[in-house]
Amino acid sequence: MKARRDVYQAIADPTRRAIINMIASQPHNVNAIAEKFDVTRQAISLHIQILTDCGLIKVKQQGRDRVCEAQLQQLSEVSAWVDQYRQHFESKLDAMEQYIETIMSDRSKNKK
Amino acid sequence: METSNTKDREISLSRTINAPVALVWEVWTKTEHIANWWGPNGFTNTITTMDMVPGGEWNLIMHGPDGTDYKNRSVFKEVIVNKKIVFEHYAPNFIATITFEEQGDKTLLNWHMLFESAELFIQVVKTFKADEGLKQNVDKLEVYLEGLK
Repeated sequence: MKARRDVYQAIADPTRRAIINMIASQPHNVNAIAEKFDVTRQAISLHIQILTDCGLIKVKQQGRDRVCEAQLQQLSEVSAWVDQYRQHFESKLDAMEQYIETIMSDRSKNKK
Repeated sequence: METSNTKDREISLSRTINAPVALVWEVWTKTEHIANWWGPNGFTNTITTMDMVPGGEWNLIMHGPDGTDYKNRSVFKEVIVNKKIVFEHYAPNFIATITFEEQGDKTLLNWHMLFESAELFIQVVKTFKADEGLKQNVDKLEVYLEGLK
């Protein structure tokens, strides 16, 4: 089975999120990243491979170093969908406001 | 590497409602009212239990426009009249905190939802993304409500 490679998969793992956070401010080489985590070098390589496949990082060869750079444009896809999801709850609040308005106008009519 | 930062698994909304806090509380806590606006637009609701005490259950069934029923189960954690409601929702697991602040004749409502994990939150957002039908229904109802004004 071919694994799905999208931005959601990229950020679904805590180590991968931590790697993105780490390189978001400045590029790091693969060794520096591996040292920060308490997992095997192979595991880090796999995470970096997945992040690369998902388009969230670019790995550049600089002399002996393999340097990882963040490509964060992709993340806007996620935030756009989170916004949609938020919007869904905003519309719930809209529905509540509408409903309250109806009640208030009914009650003020009954008073008169 | 996980920190206590919850930004990647929460949603927060706030709104000033043009109604006194007692009325806003009433439409949140009385089944005959909440059934009228809860759930995605275009859905209707049947509330089977709403026992608003800490540990009390809240069971409701949302009826989708296509006839599909969606069961929702929550347990209230904290209930302070006219001030605060906290409930834990199951499947998907999240904690919702709603606070009511009196501001004269108006009410500031804060609504916060904290998902159990970022993984779950992403999963829920993805499911929502997949559900184009739901989005269309929201649009339809908005048009309908505009017409009622």
